[in-house]
Amino acid sequence: MSKAIIATDWLAACAGCHMSLLDMDEKILTLSESVAFSSSPLTDLKQPPETGVTVGILTGAVSNTHNIAVARRMRERCQILVAVGDCATFGGIVAARNLVGTQAALRRAYLETESTIDGRIPDSPELGIPLDTVTGIDPVVKVDVFIPGCPPRADGLFYAISELLAGRIPVVLPPVHFRYD
Amino acid sequence: MTMLTLTINGQPVEARRGQTVLEAASAAGIDIPTLCHHPQLKPIGACRICLVEIEKQRSLQPACTFPVAANLVVRTESPKAVSARKFALELLFSERNHFCMFCEMSGRCELQQLGYRYGLNHFMYPTYSRQFPVDTSSSHITLDHNRCVLCRRCLRACSELAANHTLDLCRRGAATMVSADMEAPLGQSSCIECGVCLDVCPTGALFDKRSAFMGKPDQLGRIQSVCSQCSLGCGIQIVSRNGFTLRIEGAWDSPVSAGLVCRKGRFDALYDDRVRIDSPLMKVNGEQIAVDWARALGTTASRLQQVNAGAMAVLTTTRATNEALSHLAALFLDSLGCFNAGILNKTAPALPGPGARLCDLSSSDCILVIGVDPARDGPVASFFVKRAVDSGARLIAVGRRCGALSAYADTVYEIDDVAAALAAVGAARKPIVIYGAAISRTTAAALRRLPEQVIFLPLQPGVNTTMAASIGLAGRADITAAKLLYIVAGEENQDFRWLLSGIRADAFVVVQASHGSDLTERADVVLPTAAWLERSGHLTNTEGRTQRVAAVRKPCGNSKQDWEILCDLGLQMGLGIGDLKAAVPASASHFG
Repeated sequence: MSKAIIATDWLAACAGCHMSLLDMDEKILTLSESVAFSSSPLTDLKQPPETGVTVGILTGAVSNTHNIAVARRMRERCQILVAVGDCATFGGIVAARNLVGTQAALRRAYLETESTIDGRIPDSPELGIPLDTVTGIDPVVKVDVFIPGCPPRADGLFYAISELLAGRIPVVLPPVHFRYD
Repeated sequence: MTMLTLTINGQPVEARRGQTVLEAASAAGIDIPTLCHHPQLKPIGACRICLVEIEKQRSLQPACTFPVAANLVVRTESPKAVSARKFALELLFSERNHFCMFCEMSGRCELQQLGYRYGLNHFMYPTYSRQFPVDTSSSHITLDHNRCVLCRRCLRACSELAANHTLDLCRRGAATMVSADMEAPLGQSSCIECGVCLDVCPTGALFDKRSAFMGKPDQLGRIQSVCSQCSLGCGIQIVSRNGFTLRIEGAWDSPVSAGLVCRKGRFDALYDDRVRIDSPLMKVNGEQIAVDWARALGTTASRLQQVNAGAMAVLTTTRATNEALSHLAALFLDSLGCFNAGILNKTAPALPGPGARLCDLSSSDCILVIGVDPARDGPVASFFVKRAVDSGARLIAVGRRCGALSAYADTVYEIDDVAAALAAVGAARKPIVIYGAAISRTTAAALRRLPEQVIFLPLQPGVNTTMAASIGLAGRADITAAKLLYIVAGEENQDFRWLLSGIRADAFVVVQASHGSDLTERADVVLPTAAWLERSGHLTNTEGRTQRVAAVRKPCGNSKQDWEILCDLGLQMGLGIGDLKAAVPASASHFG
């Protein structure tokens, strides 16, 4: 049997969810018997292969146009899209920005902090354009499995991936793994 | 009492007429989720989480307000009910800030629990994230409107339980906010910081400042005890982590206070920053030095043996437990024959009859307050009085001592008009007289002449004053002639100048105390004692009810419990009161 291929990517994220993936410790070896990890922000290969992957994992919120592009690319190239973490599922800590508004947040961060001298809001064309409202991934692309948590515990991720590999969709997280914090 | 039978989830359930579907279901062990409902508060059916399907009803009905009726057929988990509940929940989550990862309440939040129960793993609707203020103006309470679900529990508790009517709602629709005194900052409002709103808030909208972000529920210890700050003895839960006390919560099952605590008991007691005494001290060549227990007790014992009973005086704080008071009496009054003993506060006289309890106030039609300021001396008693006034009881205050409660009084009589006040009370159906130590002998005599339907509720000053009085310790001892003075000061926090000025210059003074004061500075021997969080035993409250207090941590440094010190002293003197150690219930030396 050929191995399932997993690719991961992050949007507006802190990397905590990826740390949690690595926190599986030796269980990663168990997974690697039936799974091949392809691209991730932590590997040389950053983008999921055009040939497609079985499971795409996205962490982080959608906060700018760049995030939308990354989310769409992953959606196009994976069979099952998993939103991992509170940011990817609900908007999470990034969505705290919604409480003040994007423009006010940019002004505060780049112009008004106590240590800012000659501040400038970055506007390089290489950067994504910040959105007015931060959301989870679901409003942008169809998500198949949601795993909230800040971050989701390694055991919860292992459980969810194992369920997927066993062909059980939707994944119903047991209470011990279903956490918002 | 009419019983009737209804069917819930196919199961026949017995219920009393007048109960709600929710009450009938929970009595039968059937779980219906709730959010705005709180067992101590009147149901209002605001949140729609408890929606159930009831046959022959046009729409789903909130179980918390729907009255039971014979042959009602209720389904709590029908697909229609569950989907409506989930819909209500999704709408609640889509408004304001319900991100758990940076919320103090995460782990004990009822909204979060519902999210888990209904598998809410992403938002179904675009979120509405208008920013609301966070009110930190109160010294102990944070009110974060962004986390509020408008369940109205806080304002109902403020009105129905504390009867303070500070909190209400302002504005409309999605902009509705909990508001103190028509949008005043909480810290500048009529809030008295009893904190009952903290105990009822289901989310992180209202939380205690001191303990915020100091631990998740599974890291915290919780011990049931009784407040030791006044003579009421309200039930409390002491929440701590690794021996550090985080906060005090009210105990809903307390037979005295039914969940209420006041600012003194909930907050102030935890902010005591006086210096602790953690080792026995002795004056050597005019200077106090730290010594071991053997030397301190040996010196005290030999001094006690040198002085005859007539030249001794004993004073005790009423913060001492029943165990400490009985050991004190056994050692000094019974064994040593000392007859000059008293307490560090006044005592309200005993009046005839079985005596009222705080909970009786709710069924009283006329309450007289005389010689005491309940809002200051036993704030929870004043909550009960205001509740009675809210439900129609007449409040009569006599004299200026009645303090803040006077504002709620129907009539305030001058002390000279006490006869008129008593006449009004005598004419009532179920009158209760709340009185304190400040009543004169004449007034006490007049109270004794009231008709027998009048019942009395003393509000004793101090803490364990009722127990002290019952073993003959009431009023102050005459200390002016004493050559040896033994003072159990405990954690008494008062101005001791009245006492110090009366002590003979050559008197030998032994003080049992937990904190340093001008009194301990004068002492020849200081024996360090455990403070309220460190001691266990029993307290008898002003109603005469004896309740257990629990220790949540070991005594500070080398300090010991009051009763233990007295036992050891007795042993040292060969008086055999050490046997009493066995009389202290085993539970009293247990650190939970």
